[in-house]
Amino acid sequence: MDIATLSGQVFGYIPLGDIVLYFTPFNLFLFGGALLFTLLIALSNTETQVEARFGSLEDREVKVDIGEFKIRRFLAIVCGLATAGAMITGDLFNFTLFAALIGIVNLGLVAAVKMVDVLDSAFQYGIIAMISSLPLFGGAAIVLATTGTLSILELANSTVTPMVTFGSMLLLMGIAGETGVAPFYATKAEMFRTPGSPFLVIIHLSSLLVIVRAIEILLIINKPF
Amino acid sequence: MRSLGRILNDLANPDNIPRLFSLVLGIVLIAGLLVPFALNDHQLYPRPEPQSQINAQDPLAPYDRGGVVIADFGLNGNFLLEPGITKAQYPENSAAIGKITGYISPMGISVRDTTLYFGTSIYSSPGGLIDEILYYTRGFDTVLESSILMMAFVVASWVALHFTMKREEEE
Repeated sequence: MDIATLSGQVFGYIPLGDIVLYFTPFNLFLFGGALLFTLLIALSNTETQVEARFGSLEDREVKVDIGEFKIRRFLAIVCGLATAGAMITGDLFNFTLFAALIGIVNLGLVAAVKMVDVLDSAFQYGIIAMISSLPLFGGAAIVLATTGTLSILELANSTVTPMVTFGSMLLLMGIAGETGVAPFYATKAEMFRTPGSPFLVIIHLSSLLVIVRAIEILLIINKPF
Repeated sequence: MRSLGRILNDLANPDNIPRLFSLVLGIVLIAGLLVPFALNDHQLYPRPEPQSQINAQDPLAPYDRGGVVIADFGLNGNFLLEPGITKAQYPENSAAIGKITGYISPMGISVRDTTLYFGTSIYSSPGGLIDEILYYTRGFDTVLESSILMMAFVVASWVALHFTMKREEEE
């Protein structure tokens, strides 16, 4: 599908050699949203969970200590910046690299939690993220081999062969595994039980934004309409 | 027969998800062998015939990407050369395209003139095509790749410091 139909008029380009970033209203909105949320996270403190106790009137507070807070904030900011980059990039391989960066940082965010159940599910999520790097980069490589280009601006004009569709399918599987959307959500739902809310929400936001952008890119490449 | 609800319940267990994912991925990859194979003939980075450079007794074989140094003015970086064969998607964004591939340092030139095996030696490379793609036309990708690696090291070292080395304190 045409870029102009799908995401609006192209405002401008940032040429970085062969990697050309482009701005459309759709891209810019997602980019701004990701950056704004990253800024909010960088300025915020973690929440404190309060658990009521049986048999007494006391509450138990579950707090995050300063070391854990710092590493989580750092990883959350990196995750936000990677999400913003994935929103604005105009190159397929660049996009997959941003997705891989988001995957590894998400894994780090939950690896910093000191709860055994959560670490167990983070381990499973890490395995999925590692497996899905094969379809992620393999899909991008198949698209490159069949069309001869990785730039989305050029892919918008390329012809669609069955191999391109297969590559796109692999790419979608890779992104779904790397960001942990719908079928893999069970692993991530466990992670949300830990204290330290604003940093964990970036996991959620990044996967939502990346999947929206991935669908836009795959529609541009495959031109189903 | 197991009910649908029970199957969905099993899917909610994080332990089963990687197995299911790898099974589905394996099926998709095997199904991909049936997809008609079509390569683009106008690939970005052309290569000469295999073995042709070795048969031609080229000292840079098999990595001769073209490009000739015409005049070298020493260490201050002034040199004239014919660019190599690297192609770019957007040549207007890469003004020095092919020159990184084509350049050989003065020391490299002297090695090239003495031996036939400069291209496959480990101690020096004739400024490869890979280098040009990594650091010039697609340099942003290299920045991202190394930041992925850096994040992986940050996470791994944090986990090692707090879970492996301080394990006794926690108990």
